[in-house]
Amino acid sequence: MPSTYLWMILALPLLATVIIATVGRKLFPSKCHLPCVAGAVGACVFAVLTLIAVLQSDTGAVETGRDVVWINAGKMTANISLRADGLTAIMLVMVTFIGSLIAIYAAGYMHGDPGYPRFFAAVSGFLFFMLGLVLVNNFILLYACWEGVGLCSYLLIGFWFAKPSAAAAARKAFLVTRLGDIGLFIGILILWQNFGHSLEYDVVFINVKEQYDAHTLDPNLLFWACFCLFVGAAGKSAQFPLHVWLPDAMEGPSPVSALIHAATMVTAGVYLVARCTPLFGLSPNAQMLVAIIGGFTALLAAVIAVTQTDLKRVLAYSTLSQLGYMFLALGSGLGEQKLASLAVMAAIFHLFTHAFFKALLFLGAGSVMHAMHNVIDMREFGGLRKSLPITHWTFLCGAAALAGFPLLSGFWSKDEVLATTYGAWQHGHGAQPIVYGVLFFSALFTAGLTAFYTFRAYFMTFWGDEKLPHGVEHPHESPAIMAWPLRILAVGALLVGVVLGPTHLFQKVIDETWVIQAFPHLQGAHHPNWALMAGSSVIALAGIGLAYLFYVKQPSLADPAITLPSLYDLSQAKFYFDELYELTIVKPMTIFAHVCRIVDAYLLDGVVDLLGQIPAFLGFLVRPVQNGLVQFYALLMALGMAGFALSVLMR
Amino acid sequence: MNLYQTLLLILIFLPVAAAVLVACLGPARAQLVRQISLLASVAGAVIALVIAIGFISNRDHAKQIHRFEPMFVPGNTTDAPHATTWNLIDLNMGSEASKDKNAPKLGAIQFFVGVDGLNIWLVVLTAILMVSSILISWNAIDERVHEFHAWLFVLNFGMVGVFLAFDIILFYVFFELTLVPLFFLIGIWGGPERRYAARKFFIYTLAGSVLTFLGLLAVVVVCYQQAVPHELTFSIPELVTRFNHLLESAPASERAFYASFQFWVFLAMMAGFAIKVPLFPVHTWLPLAHVEAPTAGSVLLAGVLLKMGTYGFMRLCLPLAPDASITVGVPVIGTLSVIGILYGAFCARAQDDIKKLVAYSSVSHLGFCTLGMFALNSAGLTGSLMQMINHGLSTGALFLIVGMIYERYHTRMIGDYGGLGSKLKVISFCMVFVSLSSVGLPGLNGFVGEALIFFGMYDLRPVLAILGTGGIILGAWYLMSMLRQVFFGELKEPDTHGHEVHDINAREVAALAPLLVLCLLLGVYPQPVLNSVKPDIEVVERIVQKRIDNMNTKVADGR
Repeated sequence: MPSTYLWMILALPLLATVIIATVGRKLFPSKCHLPCVAGAVGACVFAVLTLIAVLQSDTGAVETGRDVVWINAGKMTANISLRADGLTAIMLVMVTFIGSLIAIYAAGYMHGDPGYPRFFAAVSGFLFFMLGLVLVNNFILLYACWEGVGLCSYLLIGFWFAKPSAAAAARKAFLVTRLGDIGLFIGILILWQNFGHSLEYDVVFINVKEQYDAHTLDPNLLFWACFCLFVGAAGKSAQFPLHVWLPDAMEGPSPVSALIHAATMVTAGVYLVARCTPLFGLSPNAQMLVAIIGGFTALLAAVIAVTQTDLKRVLAYSTLSQLGYMFLALGSGLGEQKLASLAVMAAIFHLFTHAFFKALLFLGAGSVMHAMHNVIDMREFGGLRKSLPITHWTFLCGAAALAGFPLLSGFWSKDEVLATTYGAWQHGHGAQPIVYGVLFFSALFTAGLTAFYTFRAYFMTFWGDEKLPHGVEHPHESPAIMAWPLRILAVGALLVGVVLGPTHLFQKVIDETWVIQAFPHLQGAHHPNWALMAGSSVIALAGIGLAYLFYVKQPSLADPAITLPSLYDLSQAKFYFDELYELTIVKPMTIFAHVCRIVDAYLLDGVVDLLGQIPAFLGFLVRPVQNGLVQFYALLMALGMAGFALSVLMR
Repeated sequence: MNLYQTLLLILIFLPVAAAVLVACLGPARAQLVRQISLLASVAGAVIALVIAIGFISNRDHAKQIHRFEPMFVPGNTTDAPHATTWNLIDLNMGSEASKDKNAPKLGAIQFFVGVDGLNIWLVVLTAILMVSSILISWNAIDERVHEFHAWLFVLNFGMVGVFLAFDIILFYVFFELTLVPLFFLIGIWGGPERRYAARKFFIYTLAGSVLTFLGLLAVVVVCYQQAVPHELTFSIPELVTRFNHLLESAPASERAFYASFQFWVFLAMMAGFAIKVPLFPVHTWLPLAHVEAPTAGSVLLAGVLLKMGTYGFMRLCLPLAPDASITVGVPVIGTLSVIGILYGAFCARAQDDIKKLVAYSSVSHLGFCTLGMFALNSAGLTGSLMQMINHGLSTGALFLIVGMIYERYHTRMIGDYGGLGSKLKVISFCMVFVSLSSVGLPGLNGFVGEALIFFGMYDLRPVLAILGTGGIILGAWYLMSMLRQVFFGELKEPDTHGHEVHDINAREVAALAPLLVLCLLLGVYPQPVLNSVKPDIEVVERIVQKRIDNMNTKVADGR
């Protein structure tokens, strides 16, 4: 039963978490990686089975029934149901495969850490939520898993919670992504209320389509729905202006950076927008927004990456940049121009190859840190290619793939992204050609920057004279349990592109995606663009060559005083985004909070206390009457009786 | 009388018996007092759970009902299973029963109690929080122990009574009864400003609820006067049915009267209930009372007593003033709720006392509760009811943990702490867990309530719902900031004067664990609870929706 596979994919990591958290922690604390690895590998097997089942099925999907109710009250119904189509199956395979390798690597990397069981419980939990996120069949469960991966990310960034910087980074990541989550939630509310009071993907998509065909669809409404969904995506995938949390998230252990903050969780936003192609495809304005934000983030992050000296941060900014590419592709999938299918293909293909080489690079960086006793500043070490040969070679494979070196995996997928944007430039209407034209050239330039900063990091770390941080005498290569995942990922970084891209295998799987099948007008043909490939090859090679020139051949050229000094400073300061947000958002909100506190204590409560004084005041007014003089009382009595008698007589 | 009716009576009167017993034991036998109290509260919790299970299994939840139908009513008859014959004060006494059919009939104030979907889970919550309260006071209270526990049980009696009462006078009596024990609990065993806090709490909430009483009486009187033949009743189900029948059948000439009548009744009820909830801007008694109250008092105050306000809105205000709830309630209370959500969260962020932070978080969370209530549809009302329970669990647990930490270090200042996660591992885990429940993380209880509230409100007033979602991020902001300061980072402990500080002990686990388990359970599989409240929620929904339809047709006629 293929639908059982889906449950198994979720059940295994969950089981692993439960085992580690309940018995593992006490009985076999130093072997807690075993349930986690077993869960991930088991899920991987079922993911592959699911992929095969999807390809074989007539409907292009495997799904469970929808009769399990999670929450139902009034018009709000949330079912627990799963569904795997081409898009989901690819994500499943990628997440479980990379996840398995990283879990194995982490068994070596985290060895001896007092929080060893906690680490693997959280990683398994993360896999559960991440796999759930791509498997579920409605928006509210998506939201639940979305928050779930955010939680695991929070727990793992703050894994070394006694370190103040880690605690701060964890909180920042949680809050910034939650800001995006509100957007996602509001988007879901809009879709639910306007498109059939349903949370199921298919009901919503069909309702939108019907309204669109009947010309009753309010384009503004759809735009705002897409906008809100994209805010959620931008938060999770760290796109400008919500990108500030991801670099700080590198405070987490390196395997976490590789798994959550490079290969899987941060791609959730890309998955969401791809999944909602039937919505974005009908809203050209929303698509243009996605493309602009994506293209801009790609450029911005690449510029910042050029000057960073922390190896993991270079990779983090590179992740931002590559995610920007994916959004650029999705935003270029103009539905009217039949580009949507190509766009989803390009974005998810890039997501897929990126997962391999970026996970590899992070694990490589982890391996360097391991050898350098947790020093990660590239200025502190250099020339490591002799002492860390495996790390060096595998890192080189990853760097070349990321740089878009011809015929490696990054080359193929980046080319698809560029081709999509090129298509939007060529076929768009109105303002579209200008916008997408600019974005296309910006993306080309970014590709050059990418090659440059990647090889800058590579050369700074592995070339030149051997230089070791203080206290490290004999750097030693990582043990086999860490080296093998590196080797396997390196093979992936070299080959997945050429195996899946030019052969159209990837296209074939993505075409099994139900949203694309159900909306045939979104389908488009895929034709290779040789000129583009040649051009991007030249740019990649030029970037690598420049990096070689600056950091190996003539290091004096890399002096910031010679290159544009003000831009250099801006880039190194990450364009002051943290400071800007601190000044314009965090500070004012904190001040406002204190104002509220004072208003509450003195104004609101003061009014209450004042009201409480009224009876006392009234008492004070009439107190003179009770003066204790009997004559006065007698007088009052007489007056009172006189008055009474008068009123009776006068009537 | 069947099993459940007996259990219901035991549930109500067991606390009275326990109160008398522990009071009689005197100050010398403190340990015995604690043991007996624990026993009685555990018995109460078990009975409440048995009744809840009986309620779920004995009632057809798929069936639509048309009025409140309390179950397990002691003193009912086979003809009237959802009413009682147990009169407390019979107003007919002494007057001859008239043979004339049209002569006015005077009813009786009755001991009319029972369970239905709106109250059953609140009763269970009360019973469970009682156990936690007694456990957490074990060492914290060492003066006048017998009196403390006696007052605690009197409070328990009042709280259970409010929820179970189906006679409007009985409801009010229990409503006010809760003030007395809490007044003493805060005033005797509270912090340095306990007297001021106790007095303020007492007078402030009493001032509001006296007005509520007027409103309730007005409804009783109008129902009596307008009915033909005149018939006096204090039964809540009967009043709701009759009053709405009056609204339905009112001729055009009387519509203006009913509109203004409802307006005043609504304001009167709101006065008491809004202060109790507490709604912004009448919340200022709450932080003070919380900070000064002993831990058990805070737990019960936040966990249960505030719910009397929201419960009052749902049980009495919506059904007895439906038109005013729509025209006044939605804009006014909806807006105040949103302000309360955001304002409470900002205030919480700026506090440097953990307990005060939790107190202000209650203002914020109760804002969600009223926001969902005034969505006036099933989703919102159910979410509101869930939020009452969720807030009781998570905020109750937060106060318990704050109490545990206070017991160890004798300070509640956030700035005095740092990195407790390295030292008090289990307590820190629990705090993180409860905070996540409180910020509405899916998979834990908070999310179910909040999501339903937002879906419900979005269907009625999207803007209010969108503004309310700000609370999601602000809630995470103040709780995560507190977590970072107190539990993460480098270890910083206040001076303990040589006392060694240990992690959680078995007694504290027993106090806390049930709440955490319920948080998880209600988050993962809430549907049984949602199903069990459905018919009664729909009674309220139909009453209000009928009035909305009525208004819409009138508007259509007017065109």
